[in-house]
Amino acid sequence: MEPQYREEEEFETALSGKLLWRLARLNLTHRSLLVIYLVSIIAVAVVDSYFTFLSKRIVDEALLVGDTGMLRRLMLHYGLLVLALAAAVFGFIFSAGYLGERIRYDLCRSMFARLQTLSLAYFDRTPVGWLMARLTSDSRRVGEMVSWGVLDMLWGSCNIVIALGFMAFISWKLALVMMVIIPVTLYVAFKFQRRILEEQRRVRSANSRITAEFNESITGIRVVKSLARERANFLKFQTLSGEMFTAGYRAAWLSALFLPIVQLTAALAVGTIIWYGGWQFEMGELTVGGIQAFIGFIGLMVFPIEEMSRVLAQMQQAFASGERVFSLMDTVPEIQDAPHALSPDSMRGDIEFDNVTFAYEEGRPVLEGIDLHVRQGETIALVGPTGAGKSTLVNLVCRFLEPQSGTIRINGFDLKLLTQESIQSRIGMVLQVPHLFAGTVFQNIQYGLLEATEEGVRDAARQAGADEFIRKLPQGYKSQVGEEGLMLSVGQKQLISIARAILSDPDIFVMDEATSSVDTVTEAMVQKGMEEILRNRTSFVIAHRLSTIRRADRILVIREGGIGEMGTHHELIRARGYYHELYTRQFREERARVMDPFHDTRVAPAPSQSQVV
Amino acid sequence: MQTGASGSDPLLRDLDFDLRQTLHASKAVRLWRLLTGYHHIYVLATLCLGGAALARAGSLYLLRFFVDSVLMSSASMAEAAPRYALGFILIAAGQGTSGFYAGRLAAQAAEGACCRIRNFLYDHLQRLPFDYHDRTPAGDLLQRTTSDVEAIRKLIALHLMGLGRIVMLLMVYIAAMFSLHGRLTLISLATIPVVLGISIWFFPRFQKRYDRYQAQEARLSTRFQENLSGIRVVRAFVRQRFEIDLTEKENGALLREGVGVVRMHAYYWPISDLITMGQVMVSTYVGGLYLLSGEMTLGAFLAFTGMLGQLMFPIRNLGRLVTQISVGWVSFMRITEILKQNRETVDEVRMEPPGDIRGELRFSDVGFSYEGTERRTENLAEESEEGPAVVLDGVNLHARPGEVVAVLGPTGSGKSTLMSLIPRFYETTSGRILLDGRELNQYPREFIRRNVGIVLQEAFLFSTTVRENLLFGVGHEIDEETLFNATRAAHIHDSILEFPQGYDTIVGEKGVTLSGGQKQRITIARTLLKDPRILILDDALSAVDLATEAKIRSALQQLMRGRTTFIIGHRIQSIMHADRILVLDKGRVVQTGTHEELVDQPGLYRDVHRIQSQIEVELQQDLEQSATEASLHLAEESSLAAVLDSGNGTRR
Repeated sequence: MEPQYREEEEFETALSGKLLWRLARLNLTHRSLLVIYLVSIIAVAVVDSYFTFLSKRIVDEALLVGDTGMLRRLMLHYGLLVLALAAAVFGFIFSAGYLGERIRYDLCRSMFARLQTLSLAYFDRTPVGWLMARLTSDSRRVGEMVSWGVLDMLWGSCNIVIALGFMAFISWKLALVMMVIIPVTLYVAFKFQRRILEEQRRVRSANSRITAEFNESITGIRVVKSLARERANFLKFQTLSGEMFTAGYRAAWLSALFLPIVQLTAALAVGTIIWYGGWQFEMGELTVGGIQAFIGFIGLMVFPIEEMSRVLAQMQQAFASGERVFSLMDTVPEIQDAPHALSPDSMRGDIEFDNVTFAYEEGRPVLEGIDLHVRQGETIALVGPTGAGKSTLVNLVCRFLEPQSGTIRINGFDLKLLTQESIQSRIGMVLQVPHLFAGTVFQNIQYGLLEATEEGVRDAARQAGADEFIRKLPQGYKSQVGEEGLMLSVGQKQLISIARAILSDPDIFVMDEATSSVDTVTEAMVQKGMEEILRNRTSFVIAHRLSTIRRADRILVIREGGIGEMGTHHELIRARGYYHELYTRQFREERARVMDPFHDTRVAPAPSQSQVV
Repeated sequence: MQTGASGSDPLLRDLDFDLRQTLHASKAVRLWRLLTGYHHIYVLATLCLGGAALARAGSLYLLRFFVDSVLMSSASMAEAAPRYALGFILIAAGQGTSGFYAGRLAAQAAEGACCRIRNFLYDHLQRLPFDYHDRTPAGDLLQRTTSDVEAIRKLIALHLMGLGRIVMLLMVYIAAMFSLHGRLTLISLATIPVVLGISIWFFPRFQKRYDRYQAQEARLSTRFQENLSGIRVVRAFVRQRFEIDLTEKENGALLREGVGVVRMHAYYWPISDLITMGQVMVSTYVGGLYLLSGEMTLGAFLAFTGMLGQLMFPIRNLGRLVTQISVGWVSFMRITEILKQNRETVDEVRMEPPGDIRGELRFSDVGFSYEGTERRTENLAEESEEGPAVVLDGVNLHARPGEVVAVLGPTGSGKSTLMSLIPRFYETTSGRILLDGRELNQYPREFIRRNVGIVLQEAFLFSTTVRENLLFGVGHEIDEETLFNATRAAHIHDSILEFPQGYDTIVGEKGVTLSGGQKQRITIARTLLKDPRILILDDALSAVDLATEAKIRSALQQLMRGRTTFIIGHRIQSIMHADRILVLDKGRVVQTGTHEELVDQPGLYRDVHRIQSQIEVELQQDLEQSATEASLHLAEESSLAAVLDSGNGTRR
């Protein structure tokens, strides 16, 4: 049991007819490619076998007879075959490769499109890593299996069948012997490959444990040293690396054993042919070329058997991938528009919660029996401990979540009777950890209104108070953000996302303030930006800063599944409840930052604090 | 170096070998030394490759004799056939055995060498000084210790062996072919340089193309990641359509790159097929003519064409191997770079002093600077503008056993560095630190670290059970009662019992996610169990939420009892009761004394105190004002308030 390590689980699925058909259909959609694919596979198998047969003819009909003319004619055949083979090889590499890529592409496309329709609750439940694995490795695995895997199987079986045909033509008795040997070899090889796969899985799991251990000892080096754990850790690690050695070595020697075993089986077959064939030769039933061809055909079969057993062994994993890919594609969005949903142009108006209850898990409601009336234009500040349901409440307004019971109305419309697009397109949002997409600052603001002009974007930035710092960036509005671009502070990112929200000109505004401290200058700018966007809009702010809280028309303290305290700042201070305590602490912190007793504007941690014990 | 549990595996050789001895100017020598202990095994593996090649050639030779002296002569088939059949099987068995042993021995050498590299790196990294870890990104180290080691394994076990296989095959087969027919061999080898050349030309280009493909794959992956992690923004602006189009671009680009890779394959293999098969054709024809003119027997002809076929195909892969080997070298070099780093200096004194320490610390004229070591920590960038990175300068301090010393100062004043000198995370660059009257470097590092407990701002727990985390600092067996006493004192016992598996619950990603406060209390319990004489509390309260602050405060009180304690803090409130307060600024002690002494002295401490007191005054004023305004409101707008209350029911 190693639950503590991050590991992609590896599944295997038994084959079902339905799954197989769906996988097969992936290929069927690309008909013309499929034709090239099939034709070239068969061509390669036929040409390969015919080569061996041709060698027989060269020996029997030219060399043994001494017919130079015949030799020349047969060499012409040979040349033509080489050309045919080259063409067929080109055909099958290209068609299989293209099909593989194309199917991966198709799967990614449909999965991604489906993901865009799923409800946010789905994303709350499903880790991003899980989805990423479906989108990347699973789609690739299915693509490869359906193209190269099927190709190997088809090519292998064609090869074997055709070779058997030629063999039967040379000597049906020997062919009969081969028909017994081949399935047995294939089965043994398959079992062997399964075993190797299992061992490799063990290696991967040992490897991920080693990686986890390295990761901890590197990131936790300070704790390790301060607890003087070096020796104990090293002993533990040696056990792990010993396991890794054992697993890796085992997998390696099993793999090294596989090929010799298949070849030895083939050698046994060759031995049989020589033994029995030699006897037949004496009886005059076999020619020298015939014996040689038989040996050649056996050699020809070794590779297909290897490949087929490998593919067969991997197939179950690929089926499991296919199943998960399809299950993602089949997921039905939890929140769907009603059949004749309305889409009003505006979301202005009062917002009412009527006995609303919401639970992520059955029986454990996050919010219970919420009644709330928010007037048009009102600014509501939400405060309270983490996980109490502040974001849930906001998400209900946006209809990212749907309550289990109760009704939410905007301007008198039950949200359930409106299209999601009509609601969400009229809501502007700024998240706690402002998410910017890779691209320029300009593009990020423009995200709020795709058809916005340059002037419009600048105007929104100006209103948000972001224009000033953006113009100071190295490339101004054209500066790249994100990993490859410049690193912006949280406050700056927030300003950009406020500008983005302003550009979209929403009727309802939702903001989750950043908890991490922002430097004073940026903070003042963020305040200015917020003032602009809060004006005349119904707003919900999950608030952490005093200025925001004080400015709100009403403060809701969300605690333990409901609205614990509600009122204006003054009222709640007077009540001396949770809010009073929260406010006191926040007041101290903010004032300390502003008054800066240490004459130090940066809040960056000291060197040895940046690494945490 | 210590040998561990894995030393018991008889297949592992020279586990204690110090990899720093591999350093050498020549890469080949380095690689050879890397295989120390496995030299004969690896050589034997290479010889096995030769054996396998010989056996393959041998079976074709046997075919030759079978054809010539049995089929083509009048020898009795019934008598000869079983012998030849047996011969074939034996040779095949020989080939199989040597092939298997080549793989197996190479695997032993590669896995064994890599096991040693992993062990050594792990130990080495733990022993590298803090300095090195400060300036090296963890992700980079992680990559070197995992994927680069894996690349070395492949280099030893697969790529070099693959190269060896082809070289052996070439040598054996060319010799064998010459023995069959010299002129035909020369004709047959004509295209080998061409095939080789094309292969070596093709694969590096192919690699480049493939790298491009992988880069695009990474871009698509990033795109997915961006969309999924920003899904709220996407929804908030209803940008699904836009996102789909954007992703489509990257997905389409990956398809095009993929087809590009496929196309390269689709050209390379048929073209090399044409050349090699053409060569086989020509040789068959010329060989046929020799045979007809009586220069060659049929058996020799068949063996020759057989060998030629088996020889030509692997050569096409040579370019791939050469490319892979050069990739492996890069990984090898990257690991060597870590090996070159110097470890923490060896302890001058290895003897541990008898008995416990009392915990008296005296700093005299202590200075510390990052001279000679480059540092890229952002914080220090500012200081380096002023010249050399002097972090501490002339610090004097005396802490008697059981005393509480507080350190106050702005960010970057050297507080944390000062504290890091005590457990010898860094060594002083001037002055001395005396522990119980003896210089710090007269104690083994491990001994000091066992006696110093540190609680930092953010808690770090290992991803194992809660119990193991608690016992991390304890060197000996401990009974449940002692454990529970510690966790009770740290106010975490009850929370732990609520976890799914109690004390055996695993912490972290795959287990239970703990809050910052819970983690902090576990580290406090961990330190209690470690029972150090000296305690360092480095801003231990600032990352804790409101609800748990009081609990942690009282847990810390428990912890400090009877220990020499150093507190780094920002709030006067948390340090005012210390026996001595040190005010640091720019690496120097600017003030020292008790709260009462310092509070009236002009200086940083008084400033901080004033500001913080002023904040308290302001807070009271603010609260009072709010309260009065609220009552005014209530009086004036009682009617409106009534409306509000009726409209918005609070929770019942």
